[in-house]
Amino acid sequence: MIKLRTTNLTKRFMGLVAVNNVSFSMEEGEILGIIGPNGAGKTTFINLISGIIMPSEGRIEYKGQDITWMPAHERARIGIARTYQLIHPLENLTLIENVMVGSIFARGHSLKEGRRRAENLCHELGLTDLERDTSRLTILEVKKMEIARALANEPEVLFLDEVMAGLNSDETKELIAMVQKIAREKNLAVGVVEHVMGVIRELTHRVIVLEAGELIAEGKYEEVSRNPRVIEAYLGGGAA
Amino acid sequence: MNRTLVRILLILIAVAAVALPAFAGDYPLQVARNIMLYMALAISWDMLLRSGQISFGIAGLFGIGAYAAILGVVRAGMPTWLSIPFAAVFAALVAFLIGFVILRLRAMYFSIVTLALGEIFRIIVHNLHDFTGGPEGVVMQQGVMFGGNASKLYWLVLAGLLVAIAASYWFEKSRIHFALTAIRNNEISAKSSGVDIFRWLLLAFVVTSAIQGMLGGIFVMSYGFAAPDVVFSADFTLLPLAMALLGGVYSTRGPIFGAILLGLVAEWLKLKIPYGHLVVYGIMIIIVILFMPQGLKNLLKPAAKRAEGRSA
Ligand SMILES: Nc1ncnc2c1ncn2[C@@H]1O[C@H](COP(=O)(O)OP(=O)(O)OP(=O)(O)O)[C@@H](O)[C@H]1O
Ligand SMILES: [Mg+2]
Repeated sequence: MIKLRTTNLTKRFMGLVAVNNVSFSMEEGEILGIIGPNGAGKTTFINLISGIIMPSEGRIEYKGQDITWMPAHERARIGIARTYQLIHPLENLTLIENVMVGSIFARGHSLKEGRRRAENLCHELGLTDLERDTSRLTILEVKKMEIARALANEPEVLFLDEVMAGLNSDETKELIAMVQKIAREKNLAVGVVEHVMGVIRELTHRVIVLEAGELIAEGKYEEVSRNPRVIEAYLGGGAA
Repeated sequence: MNRTLVRILLILIAVAAVALPAFAGDYPLQVARNIMLYMALAISWDMLLRSGQISFGIAGLFGIGAYAAILGVVRAGMPTWLSIPFAAVFAALVAFLIGFVILRLRAMYFSIVTLALGEIFRIIVHNLHDFTGGPEGVVMQQGVMFGGNASKLYWLVLAGLLVAIAASYWFEKSRIHFALTAIRNNEISAKSSGVDIFRWLLLAFVVTSAIQGMLGGIFVMSYGFAAPDVVFSADFTLLPLAMALLGGVYSTRGPIFGAILLGLVAEWLKLKIPYGHLVVYGIMIIIVILFMPQGLKNLLKPAAKRAEGRSA
């Protein structure tokens, strides 16, 4: 079943076309890689889908409903969640409270029930000592908290914007396994942006490639990585 | 100093507040009334600050409440007791309407607009001569509430303060705390977690404005008189702000401690240096802002927490 679909989605910043006419869809249970060189428009694409910015043109549908102009907090409530490339924890809330915010606002749970659910999520992700200040967390813990916060929305569609960046290879492995397990158990559609191709290869079922805002290729990682246009985009962009 | 000590201090303050009219004369009661009034304003200012919005409009809403109350009594024949909730509701309504526009603003822009609005309210009252009495103000012919009985007026202000404390406690213990803190820390993250930012800001603005309006009503009912330069005085914005900053922001007890300390010091300075007290007062406030950005509250925290507080 198709969860999310964009049609001719376009975002212009003044003269710059950050996302250009992108049409794609995501299936239930699918882990989709979103790759492309720096500045290709990956984060902007996620910002459009999560409602953080509004498109210049095009249409976004979630489970058949037109959500193109829906405010971000409502999208969070109907089941769209995301993490941020530039992580901003809520520094005046503790670890568990950070996670609770999604439970109580996106899901409307009471404080008590919200805390209970947030605790469960933290345990699933292997987060402990939940009353800690966020300034006391390791990088891996911050990344897990970011994922837990997104999952607290109890989403059906989840976007992870470079959550593995800054982690060592063991930590990356741990997080890959975790994302796979969660996606399977909760039957999520997950969009993953990563620069490390190993992660994309291991984690995703399908990949879309953005270059200068345009969707230039789509398919399994093995196919896409052999696509001459993709190879050229990466060499041209300077990031292989 | 630790949590137990803070608790003991608060209990002592509460006991003192309740016992005061039994043994204190009119002058100390008058001082205490003033301190409690400013304390309640400081708490209400802090409640909105928890969302990150810095209002300079306290005097504006206080003045609106004051005029709503006295005009309700003088022009509409409202009973004095009713004029106080009426002041709260009127200020809330005004806040609701202007909130739709000004709560789209942030940081300095919000602060400056709240300041300007307060000034606009004052000018309107100033110029609607026939209805408001203009610059000379309005006098309540029937005189002050409770016939000026000092202890009854004291209880009235204390009741207003308790309303503010209860509201602040509600803000601290309910989901409002999560909404406002998330908004203050990061609006984009807050949105992505389903927080309807505008709605919570509007709630906080309307509730705190209602409290400020109510206090304006209480003030005017205990003086039996309102004039634009009195009830829209900048003191009602600046003193509460200084008290909250001194005591420590984002809490109920911070403004309580700050108001007592600054209130007593101000009173003492007034007696010692009648003409220079505001200068000394101003210097104190500047020192607090420069060197104690977390206020006194920080001193009351255990040492380990203190370092975090400073970085927060
Ligand atoms: N708010 C904005 N205003 C103006 N330009 C923007 C804005 N956000 C993004 N851009 C521009 O849009 C383009 C796409 O940026 P985006 O962050 O989406 O790329 P990305 O693919 O996520 O890159 P990276 O891999 O570095 O994260 C860039 O040229 C960027 O400078
Ligand atoms: Mg990006």
